[in-house]
Formats: sequence, structure tokens, C-alpha cells
Amino acid sequence: MTLDINLHFSRGAFRLEAQLSLPAGITALFGPSGSGKSSLLAAIAGLARARGRIALDGEEMQHLPAHRRGIGLVFQDARLFPHLDVRANLLYARRRARQPRQLEEVARFFDIEGLLDRAVTNLSGGEKSRVALARALIAAPRLLLLDEPFAALDGIRRSAFIATLLEAQRAFGFSMLVVTHDIAEACALAGHVVALKQGRVVASGAFAQTARTPEFQALLDPRDVGAALPPAALVSGHAAGPAALWLRADQVLVAAARPSALSARNILESRVRAIVTEAGGSRLVELDSPAGPILSRLTPEAVDALALAPGGTAWAVFKAHAI
Amino acid sequence: MLTPAEMEILATSFVVAAKALLVLPLAIAAAFALSRPRLPGRLALDGFVHLPMILPPVLVGFLLLMLLGRQGPLGGVLHLAFTQNGAALATAVMIFPLLVRSIRLSFEATDPRLLDAAAMLGAGPWDRFLTVALPLALPGIVAGAVTAFAAAMGEFGAVITFAANIPGVTQTLPLAIYAVLQQPGGEAQAMRLAALSLALALSGLAVAEGFQYWARRRLSR
Repeated sequence: MTLDINLHFSRGAFRLEAQLSLPAGITALFGPSGSGKSSLLAAIAGLARARGRIALDGEEMQHLPAHRRGIGLVFQDARLFPHLDVRANLLYARRRARQPRQLEEVARFFDIEGLLDRAVTNLSGGEKSRVALARALIAAPRLLLLDEPFAALDGIRRSAFIATLLEAQRAFGFSMLVVTHDIAEACALAGHVVALKQGRVVASGAFAQTARTPEFQALLDPRDVGAALPPAALVSGHAAGPAALWLRADQVLVAAARPSALSARNILESRVRAIVTEAGGSRLVELDSPAGPILSRLTPEAVDALALAPGGTAWAVFKAHAI
Repeated sequence: MLTPAEMEILATSFVVAAKALLVLPLAIAAAFALSRPRLPGRLALDGFVHLPMILPPVLVGFLLLMLLGRQGPLGGVLHLAFTQNGAALATAVMIFPLLVRSIRLSFEATDPRLLDAAAMLGAGPWDRFLTVALPLALPGIVAGAVTAFAAAMGEFGAVITFAANIPGVTQTLPLAIYAVLQQPGGEAQAMRLAALSLALALSGLAVAEGFQYWARRRLSR
């Protein structure tokens, strides 16, 4: 799957312009609220008007209505049909699909076989999300769009649903574009990222590299500044393999000598690449670790006491539960 | 118990009201169109639909006569004036705004984003209307139809003007009450008919309320 987009539209004073080419796999559409992420998603889906061109695998579809694009969309609020039970919701999608998947197979995968005869108003938040995802996937869409799919879920259910989504992507092999404003979610899911700000694409590319760029870091809340690390190099509490883990600069300790007798499981000998002074006076220490670049936010006093300087050696320390 | 004459009046009322309800599909279409926020000419349609509610019923009957009476532009084609179908037509015109208002409310109460969800599952506009919008609005449609049926049994001004007061043909309950009141000593008969009319209207309302209660529970199990 490749998706080529060259779209522009206005909603009142807001104007969005996006020129993108997305590869197969998972792409995160990332940006602060009001950046136009959901509007862009609606335009790709065909639910909102936009000028320009959308081509999926070379097939132009800007002139097609939403129901003829073969694109699936999972909404933030599951939007299950309240007058139909779970099975009828799944069948609604299956009957209208060109090459549908087997209902039993999809239901088994999402562990919703026991819910099939339930009314949708009788499901928990996590169950609703799984049914909504199953309903979208049963139609075997060429591209699956997800609009803040985790926003309605609390912490544990959220990570469970991220794991489910990753497993489903591996099992069924579809491409997806996920709208999120949560950096940890984007990092866990996506191999590719598109960053939007005020209706413009400010950064786009492979996640780990793009996340390091100043344009991307500028979009982040100061508390979210950090770096993406490959899970294989770390001790983490994650069972199902996320694409990468987002390590916030606030959660990394720096030691001038190798620490011992410490509970933290991740102690990485690194080289100090740079020390940047932030707007508030704090220092952002950029470390080159064997797992990749790591950021740590320190006070000026700590930097002086440890005598940290570019080119020197330091140990980055963080808890498994910090990621 | 009811006399044969009263049975005939009751039967006429039922038949006229039932025929008038044939306007339901048109009311559903108008209500759905009016529930779309971006419909062009929505205000004009809204005003037109509500005309029979604002105009004096006698005037509605008179306008129908002008249009469909023997001298009217459509009178040569459709012979409806002073017939039972004519009584049903006048009744239909009068209950139309009532139907549209209640059906429109239930279309507006259903989440329009469910229609987007249906589109993303491959459902075209007609498909979405028939499989999502209509079933979700059904409780409101049935309740509106029952209320409108009860109101149809009581329609007076437009019916008597356009279809006259012909026993066994166009003489519905309110027209019969009017007729007996014209005769000296008809009060007792009028009272019986009035009680009958009241009982019918109340049971219609009760059925509508009961159905809505049941449907609401069904949709929020």
C-alpha cells in the first residue's frame, strides 16, 4: 500500500495544506489539538470536502464518496449501531465489503466471540473498542484510519488496546494511519510519523529519526521531550513488542561513574554529545547510548557537580517502569 | 353500547384517519430532509410544511376546494371534493405538520456520526437511510403516527369545508357531534359522541407513550 496525498481545504479561518507520501505499515499522524489531524483524516476518508488529490496504490479517489473508497475508519467513540447487536454490527460491515474476512476468524482474534449476541449498549469501553476494530477489519479495508482510538480508554485498557492493535496489524497485515496527540502512543505504534502544526506538515519520515528533529521536538509539551528507543536494547515491562519506546528526558538520571547496588534496570554507558540550555534555564543533556540517542533534563547545578561536558562519558539510568 | 349509527360514525372516522395516514412516507421524507442542517431551501420548506398549522382549518379546506373543486385546475382530473378520499386528503394536510414535527425530532435526536460510520463500512446514502437513520428513528415515527391518527379522528374545519358532512361517507366523529348539536334536544347524543371521542384520543396518546417507553428501553438495554 502507498498513499499519496496532496490536499488543501479551509474551514473558516483554519487552512490545511498537506502533501504526503506514506509507506505501508503504521503511520502516526501526530500534532497538538487544533493542528488539523482529524480534519485531514476525515478528508482522506471522504467524510469532509477537500481539494486536491488522494491516491491509494496509484488509484485516484478524491472524486469518490466515502462509501466507495474501500477505506476503513475507527472512531474515538466506537460508534457501534445501537439498534443492532454485536454480531449484526459485524455483519453490517461484512455484507457490504468486496472481499470480507470470516466473521468467526475476526471475532476469535479480538476475543469477542462471547459478546456476539450482546446489545452494544451493554459493553465496556474496552469491549466497544475491540468490536469497533473488528467491525472495521472484517471489511478488509485497503487502509485503516484510526481517529484517537485510545482517547476513550483508561491507562490499562489503553496499553492493552495498543497491544491488540499491533498484534492485529501483524496478523492481518493491513496499513494504518493513526491520529494521536500522545507521543508515547505514536512511538509505540508507528514506524512512520507525520507531524502537523496549524494545518501544515512540519516533519515527516521514519519515526525514530523524525522524532529527533528540532521541528518535531518543538511540538512536544516540555514534559514529553525525549527520545525513541528500540525495545530490544532495554529492560522494559512490555510484553507485546511495540515499535519503539518513548523515554522522557525527565525520567533519565545521569551518573558520572557507573552506579552499583541500584534498583534501576537500565544503566547505559554513554557519551555526552551536547548540553543545551532550555528556555526555563534547565539543561537538556544529549547522550549517545548503545541503544541510540537519549535525552536527560538536569538542573544547571547537577551538570556542574558532575562536571558533564560534551565528549565525556556518563551513564544514563532509568527504571523499566518509566517506559 | 353503541347504536348502529354510532358504529357507522366510528367506522367512517377510522377509515378517514387510516387513509390520511398514507401521507406518512411523504412526512418521513420531509422530516428527514428538514433534519439535514445543510439542506438548501430548508427555511422555505420548513415554512411550507407548517402552513396548515398556522392557517385556519376552514381556509385549508377552502384552498383545497379552489384547487380540486369542480372549477379548480386539478378538479377535472381528481374528483376528491365531497368524497371520503377528499375527507382523508383534507385530514392528511392538517396532520402533516404534526407528523413532520415529531418525526423530525427523532431524526435530529439520532447521532449523525452513526451515518458517517455506516458510510465508512460501505453503505451508500439510501442504504444508510434505510438501515441506520430509519430504524433509529422508528420509535419516534410510530409515536408520531399514533398521535397523528388520534388527531386525524378529530379533524373538523378542513374536512367539513372540502368534503362536507355526509353520513356514512365523510361524517366523522366531530362532524357528527356538530350535526347533532344542530338539532333541538341533541345534547345527550352529542355527549355520548364526545365521550367516545375523548376515550379514543386518550387511548391513542397512551399507546404512543407506551410504545416510546418500550422503544427507549430497547435501545438502551
